[in-house]
Amino acid sequence: MNKKIFIALALILVFCGSVLSQTGVKKKRPLPYEYGRVVIDNYSEKANLAPVVFEHWIHRSMFTCRVCHVDVGFAMKAGGTDIKAADNERGYYCGACHNGKRTVEGKTVFQACTKKMVGEDAKRCERCHSYGLKVASDFDFFQFSQPLPKERFGNGLDWEKSELLGLIKPASSLEGVSTQKSSLAVQKDFALNPKVEGMPDIIFSHKKHTVWNGCELCHPDIFMGVKRGTVKYSMVDISQGKSCGACHTTVAFPLTDCQRCHSKPVA
Amino acid sequence: MFKVKVRTKLKASIVALLLWTGLAGLCGVRALGEPQSPAAQADPARESWRKEFDDVCSKTQDAMTFSQEELTDLIRRCDALRPQIEKLDESRKKVYLGRLRMCRGLYAYVLDAKRNEKK
Repeated sequence: MNKKIFIALALILVFCGSVLSQTGVKKKRPLPYEYGRVVIDNYSEKANLAPVVFEHWIHRSMFTCRVCHVDVGFAMKAGGTDIKAADNERGYYCGACHNGKRTVEGKTVFQACTKKMVGEDAKRCERCHSYGLKVASDFDFFQFSQPLPKERFGNGLDWEKSELLGLIKPASSLEGVSTQKSSLAVQKDFALNPKVEGMPDIIFSHKKHTVWNGCELCHPDIFMGVKRGTVKYSMVDISQGKSCGACHTTVAFPLTDCQRCHSKPVA
Repeated sequence: MFKVKVRTKLKASIVALLLWTGLAGLCGVRALGEPQSPAAQADPARESWRKEFDDVCSKTQDAMTFSQEELTDLIRRCDALRPQIEKLDESRKKVYLGRLRMCRGLYAYVLDAKRNEKK
């Protein structure tokens, strides 16, 4: 009897092993409050500090993508900005807002980095340098998300609808940092044909994308094709973070939410 | 007698000088207040490169409406700004070179698209 159980277990182990060796380990789906989280550790651990944990959800509720990724200058890839404490201290990157002076939604934003750490300063460092530490945040995701319309994936929130309903008001500029821009002329939506037959067409809305991103965040760094149809996009590339995947695998609703892009009814 | 007078005058001068130096120091500290970050010190009104940067890169929203000549001129202005930004301190250089790259990139992209349309 024991021999049979042993053989059965060995077979299961061999089967699982062969499946995993072909497909790799399935990535854990982030929980709604974890989606969009970025851990930054360019210099933190070298300076004996915990890596920085950046929560996209709270920041995106206050600012459009463009404010941070164009005007403030954060790269689109984690670790790509090469932020140094000195940059923050001089009033750039995190320090553009986290300077102890700027007020956002009626609250003074705490100062990010200081050369002299005295008493309370050390505690303040942990507000960002919190990876692996138990640090109480000023913002609670569940409380924050309660009144917002829900979606199935990502943060589990419909950010676009939240703004339309006036439940969030992301600012599109930052005083002293952003350049004053005129409002963007509305571009027409267009359809992209999928490669798989029977799959609904992708309806791409320039309007939806430019309202938060402007133009230069996507062109030409993420989308470099100048003529429609010349660049072929594949789901493999997208899932690896290319083109749409630059945002739709990290912060914006994820690729598992197929019908939000493949939205044209099949004729 | 003369020596004593000179000494007293010298002492008085030194005391006065010290007082003035101290007073000037105090006034200086008050006038400057807390040391400001370079970002705060960088007054855009005073810096010509920043004015030019704001002017050139504030037009990205309208890029599609510009003619090829206008786009070429904007790209030229971006290129002219680059050496000025490269002279800035490390943080500002990093931020503004990145912003300039995006802004120039968009104008070049739209220009390419327009040239392609004509073909």
